[in-house]
Amino acid sequence: MVVVAAVSAAAVAASGQGRSERSVAPQATQVSGNITFATWASNPIETKLLDRFLNAFRKKYPKIKVNHLTFEPGYPDTMLARFAARKAPDAFYVNMDLALDWTKQGVVQDLTPYIQKYHYSTKPFFPKLLSAFQVKGKTYGFPKDWSPLGMETNNALLAKAKVKPPQTWAQLKSAAQKLKDDVPGGRPICLSNNWDRLMAFVYQNGGTFINAKKTKSTVNTKAVKGAVDYYVGLIKQKLAGTPAQLGVDWCGEALGKQKAAIVFEGNWVAPYMKDTFPSVKYKINPMVRNKRRGNLAFTNSYSIAKQSKNKPAAWTLIAYLASRPGQKIWTGSGLALPTRGDVTPLARFKVLVREAPYAHPYQFAPKFSKVLDVSNNELSAVIEGKKSSQDMLKKIQQTANDALK
Amino acid sequence: MAAVRTDRVEGGRSADVREALVGYGFVALPMAVFIAFFIYPIGYALYISFFDWGILGKFESVGLDNYTRLFHDDLFWRSIKNTLYYTAGVVPAQMALGLLMALAVNQAIRGRAFFRAAFYFPSLAGSAAITAVALYLLSSDGLVNTILGTDQPFFGDSDTALQSIMALNVWTTSGTIMLFYLAALQSIPTDVYEAAAIDGAGLWRTFWKITFPLLKPGHFLVAVLSVVGCLKVFDQAFIASGGTGGPNYSTLTAVLFLYRTLFGDFEFGYAAAAGIALFFLIFFFTAVQRLLFGRAEVGH
Amino acid sequence: MATEERSAAPHLGAVEQLGEEPDFTVGTPPTGIPGRARTEKARRVVTYAVLLAVSILFFVPFLWSVSTSLKTLPESVGFNLIPEHPTLNAYRQAFSAFNFDRYFVNSVFLATVVTLTNLVLASIGGYAFARIRFPGREVLFLAVLATLMIPDQLRLVPLFIMLTNAHLIGTYQGYFAINLVHATSLFLMRQYFLTIPKDFEEAAKLDAAGYFKTFSRVMLPLAGPALAAVTILTFQGTWNDFYWPLIIFQEDPSKFPLPLGISHFKDLYQTLWPQLMAASVITILPIAVIYVFFQRYFVAGVAAAGVKG
Repeated sequence: MVVVAAVSAAAVAASGQGRSERSVAPQATQVSGNITFATWASNPIETKLLDRFLNAFRKKYPKIKVNHLTFEPGYPDTMLARFAARKAPDAFYVNMDLALDWTKQGVVQDLTPYIQKYHYSTKPFFPKLLSAFQVKGKTYGFPKDWSPLGMETNNALLAKAKVKPPQTWAQLKSAAQKLKDDVPGGRPICLSNNWDRLMAFVYQNGGTFINAKKTKSTVNTKAVKGAVDYYVGLIKQKLAGTPAQLGVDWCGEALGKQKAAIVFEGNWVAPYMKDTFPSVKYKINPMVRNKRRGNLAFTNSYSIAKQSKNKPAAWTLIAYLASRPGQKIWTGSGLALPTRGDVTPLARFKVLVREAPYAHPYQFAPKFSKVLDVSNNELSAVIEGKKSSQDMLKKIQQTANDALK
Repeated sequence: MAAVRTDRVEGGRSADVREALVGYGFVALPMAVFIAFFIYPIGYALYISFFDWGILGKFESVGLDNYTRLFHDDLFWRSIKNTLYYTAGVVPAQMALGLLMALAVNQAIRGRAFFRAAFYFPSLAGSAAITAVALYLLSSDGLVNTILGTDQPFFGDSDTALQSIMALNVWTTSGTIMLFYLAALQSIPTDVYEAAAIDGAGLWRTFWKITFPLLKPGHFLVAVLSVVGCLKVFDQAFIASGGTGGPNYSTLTAVLFLYRTLFGDFEFGYAAAAGIALFFLIFFFTAVQRLLFGRAEVGH
Repeated sequence: MATEERSAAPHLGAVEQLGEEPDFTVGTPPTGIPGRARTEKARRVVTYAVLLAVSILFFVPFLWSVSTSLKTLPESVGFNLIPEHPTLNAYRQAFSAFNFDRYFVNSVFLATVVTLTNLVLASIGGYAFARIRFPGREVLFLAVLATLMIPDQLRLVPLFIMLTNAHLIGTYQGYFAINLVHATSLFLMRQYFLTIPKDFEEAAKLDAAGYFKTFSRVMLPLAGPALAAVTILTFQGTWNDFYWPLIIFQEDPSKFPLPLGISHFKDLYQTLWPQLMAASVITILPIAVIYVFFQRYFVAGVAAAGVKG
């Protein structure tokens, strides 16, 4: 017991933080058992890193046997079947999209009692990220990593057109006008026809999707319409193209194939560019802004199953994974961004981490998956010119209100 | 042509009983499998469709509310419309192409083994590779557009997305249809062709008046499997639209609607109601086909 | 005993006959009308051209797959059919990245067993539905057809609960249980048996053969093409089956068949195209072999010339 406390105290003192994280979990000698830990797999490098990560845990807590299961693809489907059959893994990842629904359905364990019992401090977590996994003041998961959107620009193309990376909506538009002739197809910006990018612009214009109490939708407002009209306007003026229009699967591919000079993606674009388009040089810039700064956060949590038969061991695992030393291991190689303010990100990702105060998790309420489907379908209709943005917002607001009832 | 039963000593009834028992014996194990793993889930779905049912079980009983809600759900009706459109386009194309290929390959033309392999290939290869190739070839600056001199994003435009998926499926499944027809073609008796030859019938007449009608059991098999498969279409719609059923609801198929309700919103009861509705739709189509050409038994 | 002399597909003689004519019109005398030979040749050229064009169209995905499998990841995003610097790297990775040989053996095991059980149960069940009279036959057959009408997604939860309670998750038995026989196979066999003339069964009855003997000695040998079709479809379907092995074998990677291993290369954000294609190419080979071997039963490659008339 003393050894563990001494080790953590030493680690903390070495980093100069000065806050002791004593006993965030049952002591290594006390907890034992077999637990299963289920995750998805984003890419092979991440899988290897996770193996190393888990081995570090196993060394520290040798009495806990962690069986790591990878459900890829079909993670949500597989988890669903297991929950239904009362055979859930003890600890698992939770996707931000599903967090609110899984919590409402009662399959995720409330962590508050453990947080209190072991004095686990949740202060270092970025508040907006943690709130994605909190319902009515109770915490149901710890954010494991995250990314906001950045604005990636192609170094060569911008240099050629003598354009600096834009910072406002107006600058974005004029930059695109100058870059028009330097990309095949003449559309220098790639804009995804999905609200999971558009929403950032909505926040920048002061709009919201639903109100803070989550009782009604606020999408049919001037602020939101303004953002939609700007976003779709860029596409209609042929200053921007959707991935389909540019002949790619997603905007990252457009950046790599140099079909676009400016795209809006998160840090996942980095390993992709490195492996698939190593020769294309680009820069990650802060997100543009309008009336205010606004961005989206994409994050996932470590959580415990309510059905788990060995919650102390599962808690030990996720407490470790989300802790400061844990996140240092996980995010040290730059694969992911830390969700805690007390872990230093890699230098080239600092620009993304600085978006944290303005990054709203792209998540709204339970039963919103259909609402977002409708929203995206309506958006594609507006982009195709088959609908007005006014009608779209009316329809979305109505669908959202139905789901919030 | 009644069978001559010379070995019946006991009398009519017990031979019938014996035949019935043998029949049940032969189908016992298959029926057990079907009942346990298919009929039971249908019953389960029917049961939970009367509840507000979540991941861990029932929240409350809602009677027919799920069905009423389904009736007023324009997303559901859109998905049905898309699915019917899809089926109406794909089934005839698949059957015609499959039959043509089977006929072609049934002739002793040179290199028929090569053609047989080539035609079957898209069915053989995994759907991941096929869909990837299709997305590739049909992208806005892909091969097809380059040849046509256009820049139409086939999968990304609501006017062409569903049609592209239809073409893709005809391409991948007509090989399997070819297989079914090839098997069926083997059962046409020799005498029939000889008689036609003696009567001086041309190739087209032989096919249309003789071969085609004799393929009736084959048609029924192919038609049912084809229609049922089309009404259940999911994979390509899911991959091509990223699960949203877009753009502009064009690729929202019935099963995709069901999937989103089940795995997106976790409304098991509502999804079950949609599943039951879809089941009855398919059942209706199959029953109609059975009436049209399922009953006739060759050689009866 | 007369029945034993019948070949596997007695009606094939006619097809051979049709094919051996120098021109394609049955019954038309080949000589006597000048100019007819030339139109026949033109027709044949057109036919071959069309067949060839269609074949190329159908073959393209395979060529593209092979080509991609020989490229590096950066090059794989391009269109060229011929790789600039062909490399076997992807194949090496495909073999070493996961337990390829173990998964291959699993795939062979699963596909073989499921094909065998399907052949047995579908043929015996299909025969009963076609030729044996028992009360409720039509209703039961409709029930069989009904099983085709329920989407897999709707079956997932109830079946998973059922298999979990029976402790069949993570076992081969669980997978075999739900795949013992497929409605498609049974349906196919039934339709085929319907087309066999009743004379054969009557002959068997005259020889005082019981139901099972009639089935196994007389009808089954006549069902060659249908059995071949069931073999091809079931083997291939099981070989490529991804969904149910994913659900059932999740906890025990030592039981994974190939499709689960291959999906390794297609993670959330990135598809490793060369490796995915390399693995797909290797995976196709066995089912291509099965297909090539069994589709011989569809056409009289072997001369059934002796069985004319």
